[in-house]
Amino acid sequence: MVRMIPRRLALGAITVFLVSTIIFAGVELLPGDACTAFLQRDAQGKLLDNCRAELGLNRPAVERYVEWASGALTGDLSVSAKGRQPISEIVGIRLRNTLLLASGAAMIGVPLALVFGVWAALRRDRLTDLTISTLAIGFMTVPEFVSATVMILVFSIWLNWLSGIIIISPDAPLIEFIPKIVLPVLVLTFVMTAHILRTVRSSVINTLASDFVQMAVLKGVPYWQVIIRHVLPNALLPVINVVALTIAWLLGGVVVIETVFNYPGLGRLMIDSITDRDLPVTQAIALIIATIYVGVNLAADILAMIVNPRLRTLKARQE
Amino acid sequence: MRKLIVLACSAVLVLTGSAIAAPSGVFRQAHEYGFGDKSSLDPSSKGKVFQITEKIMNRLVRPDMNGKPSPDLALSWQPNAETTEWTFRLRSGVKFHNGATFNADDVVYSLNRILDPNSDNPARSTISMITKVEAVDATTVKMTLNAPFADLPLQFTDYRIMMIPNGSGDTIGKTGIGTGPFKVVKFDPAGTTALEANMDYYDGPPGVARMEIIAIPDAQARLQAVLAGQTDMEAGITAQQKIMFADPKKYQIQEVPTGNWRGIVFRADAAPFTDLRVRKALRLAADRQAMLDLVEAGNGVLNCDTPVGPKDQYRADLKCPQDIDQAKKLLAEAGFPNGIDVEVFVATIEPTWPAMVEAYQSQAAAAGIRVKITKVPSDGFWTNVWMKKDVTVTRWNDRPADQGLHEIYGMGSKWNESFYNDKEFNDLIDNARREKDFDKRKALYVKAQERLFESASTLVPYTVTKMVATSARMHNLDAVENFSIRWNKVTVDN
Repeated sequence: MVRMIPRRLALGAITVFLVSTIIFAGVELLPGDACTAFLQRDAQGKLLDNCRAELGLNRPAVERYVEWASGALTGDLSVSAKGRQPISEIVGIRLRNTLLLASGAAMIGVPLALVFGVWAALRRDRLTDLTISTLAIGFMTVPEFVSATVMILVFSIWLNWLSGIIIISPDAPLIEFIPKIVLPVLVLTFVMTAHILRTVRSSVINTLASDFVQMAVLKGVPYWQVIIRHVLPNALLPVINVVALTIAWLLGGVVVIETVFNYPGLGRLMIDSITDRDLPVTQAIALIIATIYVGVNLAADILAMIVNPRLRTLKARQE
Repeated sequence: MRKLIVLACSAVLVLTGSAIAAPSGVFRQAHEYGFGDKSSLDPSSKGKVFQITEKIMNRLVRPDMNGKPSPDLALSWQPNAETTEWTFRLRSGVKFHNGATFNADDVVYSLNRILDPNSDNPARSTISMITKVEAVDATTVKMTLNAPFADLPLQFTDYRIMMIPNGSGDTIGKTGIGTGPFKVVKFDPAGTTALEANMDYYDGPPGVARMEIIAIPDAQARLQAVLAGQTDMEAGITAQQKIMFADPKKYQIQEVPTGNWRGIVFRADAAPFTDLRVRKALRLAADRQAMLDLVEAGNGVLNCDTPVGPKDQYRADLKCPQDIDQAKKLLAEAGFPNGIDVEVFVATIEPTWPAMVEAYQSQAAAAGIRVKITKVPSDGFWTNVWMKKDVTVTRWNDRPADQGLHEIYGMGSKWNESFYNDKEFNDLIDNARREKDFDKRKALYVKAQERLFESASTLVPYTVTKMVATSARMHNLDAVENFSIRWNKVTVDN
């Protein structure tokens, strides 16, 4: 198991490298660059040449990529093409805001999904299960931008209870964010809860049907003891990975939510920087999201192995 | 004790507030954050946030409610007999937000900064006829032009030509120090920019105490913000969205006819559009009323291929119904009895472009004009497609008659998108500039527009009427374009 970690880390590094290359190539392939995006109709002649020279856009793409990549390796993410601000400053504060949103949703969503998922499984095919499952499938299939828009319509336009659009400075203290992020956190919670809940439910049902549980029941172990000591520890193992994936998805997937709610996080910055062809910022964000994705998955796998004695010993035997 | 007196006095002030109309309430408006980190308070820069600069600064001359030049920081103006030299008398006692007194040196500095050929200032072409600006005394400025120009004051109504303090060019983008009814408390382009009432404003204290100009890049989010009462005003509501603002207890809708137009440009230097008959046939084939109804739900004013807006004092009153027979006849005369093929390049920078071209496609088919629509990406449209391909879509915002005619149709103008080159037209607009008598000048501008209808190769079917949604708590918003609104008059209920 110990040997697996460096291997996974190396694979992760390769993944992140590939992602950065693909993003760079993707943005390069789009027509237009940071200068045409900014100057729009004025993007001709001397103005355009000056702008490109200032941003170094007149150099070959490969040269710019190598320069950026070598900088990124040493932790220097370069400066924004638009405002010449250090990217670590711009992105850092936005990452904080997105983490707030994601952790808010995760803190409510994960326990909720566990409780309702187990409950639905134990009441399988009865009214409780049907209600919970139907709702979950509903929340999974309705896209976030639809549920977000409906929630804004109901809670802020009709009822006037909550603020619909978030109006706040990106660098405001976190405490000022809390009362304003109720709606986006709710929407995110719904979606992620539904995903995790479905996995929890099917996993618990599978475990309930397994031989060792049957055996325990036949041996006359009390019902709740079977559930708590035998079913849950086994059933919740695969859930660790799903939770990790969902949290990773949260960080990337908040793009839509942040745009709809005007939330000053990483996702909105990503959209803005792609629109402006601000390649350094786009790259930096892609890098951060990719790293988090790889990191969270690795952590989940390690955690699953620590918790699951079978995986641990299996690996040990192989090694 | 002194505190008590102050308290009592302020209580009296508050009680009599309505009588002296002290500024009150907070007005909130969104901006697109379209220039990202390059957003600036420099009024003539590309990245200017006009929703802010229009409230914190003044021009020499402002457009009145009918688009005519009226005094702002200049009280009066007088040309010499040839209209090559102009003397502007300035308002005295006006203070900048930093306490400095506005005078002729500030005017000289502000104008020279725009005129500097090395600066590539986007507003430069508007006043490039000025060769020299000099301060005669503290409240008098003299300008020398390279040619006679009778409508110089009109050029100063351009909303980018604001007066800034002498020597402030390097800092104005951040400070936004002007003479306007509001002053900048905090400039935060990505978040909320706060403005407060300028109690020393030359026209008296404004109606609103505080303004918040908020960055909301997403159009849908801006709409929701005004629906939810989080902002007070949103311009550019579409006909489909209008119904959302039907509740008069919460919202108001203001309709403002503008000179903003959309059109199709056929390059006059490319065959077959070199032939005047083909150009006219292409335009006669359009049913403008049907286009306006289909594309803008009728929210607009019909237009006969002139860039001069419906409210402009020089607008020619033309009629141009669809005439398929005449279009066919002209095409046949030009050597195309079987019609012509036209490939139009369309992007979606302006969301109504595809619909406009599709409407034209079906209308023009009757005249044997076979339109092929080619969709291109919005990115790079202005650089790679517009003024490069033979036929593209275009759009322009309102500008005074002289400016629109010269910049978009003038020989040798950088923005002559149709490569239109007509001696008769050029003579007309040049003579109009020189003509001192208003009626004669107007006649020349009208003739120039008539000439355009005969010979131009740009189809301008309509100008759009802008719909502005406001909260019901907002009052006294002038029903004119942004750059003519008197922001000091606006009030909000608390």
